[in-house]
Amino acid sequence: MVMKKTDAFTQAGKTAVLQNIQGTLQFLQRFPPFNQMENAHLAYLVEQCLLRFYAPGETIIKPADGTVEHFYIVKQGRVVGERPHSAKGGTETTFEITTGECFPLAALLGERATRTEHRAGEDTFCLQLNKQAFIKLFALSSPFRDFALRGVSSLLDQFNQQVQQKSAQTLGPQYSLNTRLGELAMRHPVSCNPDMPLREAVKLMHEQQVGSIVVVNEQKAPVGIFTLRDLRHVVADGSGDFSEAIAAHMTPTPFYLSPDHSAFDAAIAMTERHIAHVCLVKDHRLCGVVSERDLFSLQRVDLVHLARTISSAPKVESLVALRGEIGQLVERMLAHGASSTQITQIITLLNDHTVCRVIELTLADKGDPGVPFSWLCFGSEGRREQTLHTDQDNGILFEARDAAHAAQIRGLLLPIAQQINQSLALCGFTLCKGNIMAGNPELCLSRAEWARRFAAFIREATPENLLSSSIYFDLRVVWGDEQGCEQLRQQVLEQVADNRLFQRMMAENALRHRPPVGRFRDFVLSRKNGEKATLDLKVQGLTPFVDGARLLALANGIEANNTLERLRQLVIKDVIQPLDGAAYEEAYHFIQQTRMQQHQLQTRENLPYSNRVDPDSLNHLDRRILRESLRQAQRLQSSLTLRYQL
Amino acid sequence: MSIFSWLRPVQPMLPEDVQQRLERLPAPAPLGECSLREQRWVVLDLETTGLNLNKDQVLSIGAVVIEDGAIDFSQQFERTLQCDKQKLGPSVLIHGLAPSEIAAGSDPAEALLAFMEFVGDSPLLAFHAPFDSHMLGRALKDYLGYRLQHTFLDVADLAPMLCPQAHLRKAGLDDWIDWCKLQVFDRHNASADALATAELALILFSRARQQQIHSPLELQQHLSQWKRRQRAPSL
Repeated sequence: MVMKKTDAFTQAGKTAVLQNIQGTLQFLQRFPPFNQMENAHLAYLVEQCLLRFYAPGETIIKPADGTVEHFYIVKQGRVVGERPHSAKGGTETTFEITTGECFPLAALLGERATRTEHRAGEDTFCLQLNKQAFIKLFALSSPFRDFALRGVSSLLDQFNQQVQQKSAQTLGPQYSLNTRLGELAMRHPVSCNPDMPLREAVKLMHEQQVGSIVVVNEQKAPVGIFTLRDLRHVVADGSGDFSEAIAAHMTPTPFYLSPDHSAFDAAIAMTERHIAHVCLVKDHRLCGVVSERDLFSLQRVDLVHLARTISSAPKVESLVALRGEIGQLVERMLAHGASSTQITQIITLLNDHTVCRVIELTLADKGDPGVPFSWLCFGSEGRREQTLHTDQDNGILFEARDAAHAAQIRGLLLPIAQQINQSLALCGFTLCKGNIMAGNPELCLSRAEWARRFAAFIREATPENLLSSSIYFDLRVVWGDEQGCEQLRQQVLEQVADNRLFQRMMAENALRHRPPVGRFRDFVLSRKNGEKATLDLKVQGLTPFVDGARLLALANGIEANNTLERLRQLVIKDVIQPLDGAAYEEAYHFIQQTRMQQHQLQTRENLPYSNRVDPDSLNHLDRRILRESLRQAQRLQSSLTLRYQL
Repeated sequence: MSIFSWLRPVQPMLPEDVQQRLERLPAPAPLGECSLREQRWVVLDLETTGLNLNKDQVLSIGAVVIEDGAIDFSQQFERTLQCDKQKLGPSVLIHGLAPSEIAAGSDPAEALLAFMEFVGDSPLLAFHAPFDSHMLGRALKDYLGYRLQHTFLDVADLAPMLCPQAHLRKAGLDDWIDWCKLQVFDRHNASADALATAELALILFSRARQQQIHSPLELQQHLSQWKRRQRAPSL
């Protein structure tokens, strides 16, 4: 009797407590991921929480605290992340976390200390959850787990998941381009010694039903590869003696990767090198082979095939037809979780193949002028940051003895260049409105002429020249000899490094486009004639990174063109701090990815391409990441202001 | 209150298990020199049938705990007391009459005992603490013959003492919630008020530390000096 009574009391107490917890529960349900969590899980979370108060300026967690032991949700107020400032000493605000948002996910899951000191920006209450409870919730609640993981694996990965979910539903299993090659190459590789007779080797391939055999030395290191393609050659040749050692017919020093490389790395290697097999080598020993088929039975992304088709297209019309396939490929790759970098890389690769093929076809059509030349590209193409929708920015570089000789060669090359420009336009490379094209006599220059032109840009920093340098100094050779271009680049690097004034002007130029985020909280958007307020992802989001990275790279003798590569090298050269570099990279990734997704959406809905996005159309999470990404652009700009005392 | 209670001994008759539990209740600890953060506090709010200190009854108890400087959501107390006049008094337990409906409230003696177990030896905080202290003390005496000796600090005094710049005089909990810009959820029961009071207390403790008041004892001493000054503003 007494027991029963006590039970009833306990029950009554519980019900009552739940009433009180209900308020916090309802509060949390206004925010992701809590709005997707089961009530029981959420109630568990609330019951395990401590509510703490932090006065303005008070530290909540800091790197010196060691491994993070708690998960925090801002109930009220504002938390700011502060990192030591690289240049001016002191600290700078790297992010802001406000009501309903959580921290520090990355450190918590990584079981490490936070890298950023979190302080209260105003009177702030945080719900604090202990690590055990966090882990339990992580195990119990999949929305919570997804959220935590997405928060951790960089801004980009969060986004990838959504991209995948959105466009991959029809594509089935979650194959990923990021799969380790070691996981793909399940089968033991078929290998033999260099002195094995060809006949036996082919027999072995036949028995094992494989398309390749790797020739290894006594240490099991690959010294050659023999594929069905090689066999065709031997047979077609007719001269083949099948009792000869395989070493005489193999392709020596085969290309290899480590098992830790990704499927994407292999796909890129195959596309670049026109090979169908990649050896996997660990500790100098052969441990596997990945074939094109392994990769694409997995991916169903026929990248290599497409590249090969482009490179062997019989006429320009067939290239035009292939453009559509590139679009589909990009869509599929997005669906398979490719990152914006991977996609721009692939597009650049395929575009390069297309340009080369157009040049080859044009030369075949018009006849070879008998003068060696290099086809240059500038701007985003030069930086290998093309999306599907790009203008032509190209030029021609050739060697000439003097001005007269140069003029003579120009006369020979211009008709060809113009033809190439037109053919490229047919293939979807829009003609450049500014006429930055090889068919323009001012862009079909000898090395000396280019050098003079570039030197003038640096010497006389007029607004026009600054704009030009931001296009031309990202130059790269697509077709032809690369040496002349490298010499030009070296000269530019030397001249820029010597010219502090030019650097300063470029820095000013890099500040033209301000990321549209306010000092606090949200976006600051322009609104034109009653249209919805939007922001330009390219100009206001990417350009600050591109311009900043270019300036710092040129000023510090870095040859790389690609923005991310420039950032990485700037980190290596100690020009920017590793933490900053990583943050810029993630932010740039995310903005680019958002932009591409936007383009894909526009294609599907038959809308004209636009880089403008309405932040309100993004979900809560994306909006937040975008805001933080733009804030990183802001930080890069303010670091330039400081560096060049603007 | 039943007329018979005058005739009975002061101690109400209690079942043995209740008596044992009463005896096990720890004596209240005096406020010490530990840090404000180290002190466990119970923040209390009562709902009563009215404001008459001698006649009105406690209707419900809501309490939250501040421990290690934070409000611990796993330690909360909320009971509604059975308030039907007919059923009031110790007879409820003696007759073994459990509350007929949970919704109708818990047996007051049981609820009060459970509350004191929840409090332990911790000091109490409340907004307008003298009222809560008196009402709770009377209820404990009537139902359990227990003498409440725990320290109460009044948040309604702490707030103006620690935030003189607020210039709020005789302000209510709502005024202070507004002044501190506290975002509180629906406040319609004792427990929610206790939570709001506790959030206010966290802010006040933070202000106290900024004013070099570090221990509960110092806080208590400052408070009594402040109250003396309030009573004799000319000094």
